[in-house]
Amino acid sequence: MKHSIFRKQVLPFIGLFGGLIFGALIFDWVLHQLDLVWIGRWIGIPGTLLILSSFLYSLRKRKKISIGKPKQLLVLHETLTWIGSLMILVHAGVHIYAILPWLALFAMLVNVISGMTGKYLLDSSRRSLAEKRDYYRTQGKSEEVVEQQLFWDATTVDAMKQWRLVHLPITLAFAVLGLSHIFSILLFWQWQ
Amino acid sequence: MKYKKLLLIVTLNLVVLVTLVITMPHLMITPGKPIQAHREFADDCFACHTPFIGSQPEKCMACHKVSEIGIKTTKGLSIGGEKKSVAFHQNLVEEECVACHSDHNGVMAFRPISSFSHELVEVNVREQCNGCHSNPDDNLHRKIEGNCSQCHNIDAWQPATFDHDDYFRFDHHHDAECKACHIDNDYTNYTCYGCHEHSRSNIREEHFEEGIGDYENCVECHRSGDEDEAERLWRSRSNGLYRSREENDHREYGEGYRRRWHDDD
Repeated sequence: MKHSIFRKQVLPFIGLFGGLIFGALIFDWVLHQLDLVWIGRWIGIPGTLLILSSFLYSLRKRKKISIGKPKQLLVLHETLTWIGSLMILVHAGVHIYAILPWLALFAMLVNVISGMTGKYLLDSSRRSLAEKRDYYRTQGKSEEVVEQQLFWDATTVDAMKQWRLVHLPITLAFAVLGLSHIFSILLFWQWQ
Repeated sequence: MKYKKLLLIVTLNLVVLVTLVITMPHLMITPGKPIQAHREFADDCFACHTPFIGSQPEKCMACHKVSEIGIKTTKGLSIGGEKKSVAFHQNLVEEECVACHSDHNGVMAFRPISSFSHELVEVNVREQCNGCHSNPDDNLHRKIEGNCSQCHNIDAWQPATFDHDDYFRFDHHHDAECKACHIDNDYTNYTCYGCHEHSRSNIREEHFEEGIGDYENCVECHRSGDEDEAERLWRSRSNGLYRSREENDHREYGEGYRRRWHDDD
């Protein structure tokens, strides 16, 4: 069972997050090798647009829009935010000298981790709960007894569902820091 | 109510951050400390940056007077040595300092030279390469003054437009380094002697067999490793056809690369 959880939940989590960091490092290295460092400066814009467009899912989930299937939009949300985050990581590179970009980058990474953690932990907990419920039922236990024995597990899963409450404030923090960063760039940009 | 509260928190945070960006940009957004000479402005970003416009040349020229660049420091002290940057800075098409200079160490103290465009320099000055550039220290360039565009263009020093094929075409038998033929970095002269087959005795013997007495200027006939081509050229020269071309060349280029001719000319 432990092996299964590790394989099904932990490994994909590590793979996806590690791939993000490793992918950004490789991307940055390739740009330097090809003398295309200027791309890193501009790639933050498409990265931001990708992340913004992934919020279609958030709007759909909160019934602000009615287009698209939530499941498909969730996959799109996960994919676009991963690619967008990769681009922003490349944009940041290791050339960070000031507080604001550092904070924005940190908020973005926490946001990504919170999203992935929510996705994998919630998924894992739900399945674990369902397996236990099936097991107790096959033992011939009454529904009341099953509910009693699964009380803490069910409570934990309910708590897991609350991850969105964490995900949202972090998203807002990232948005505020990102907007401030964009404002500061506009303030000091060489327009001519 | 919930959304209003959220919006209020977000707005407040945004206002605080924007205020910090405006009041302490050197902490919030700086792309690295300024270069040593401008370190005194490290905490005063707006000394050089105009909000929402950028670094304007007027702000640079308030300290760096164009007429004094390369001659005097901003403190009025005289600058010794060769003044290569004087003519260049005084003859720019437009004064756009940041087109070449970037003073933040974090970005790069000086933009890579590849980003510099000669188009920024006035047309009449653009041809005066020596105003900014020094001749390479080799025997060919040491003897040349001006007229660089005969061989080089303003996009890049290399490759030069000089075409070695006009004199000698390399082939797989002659995949040699410059110094193999141009001894001591002297590109005004060359020698074919010294390679395995090109010993003086061998060459003399082979040419005497053909009745050729003057064979010192090899490229007159040997424009590549192709023996047949060399023979054709020699025969055409012998028939006098080559003579007229040679006279034309002589008129055009003067005494120079092809100054030694065979006895039978």
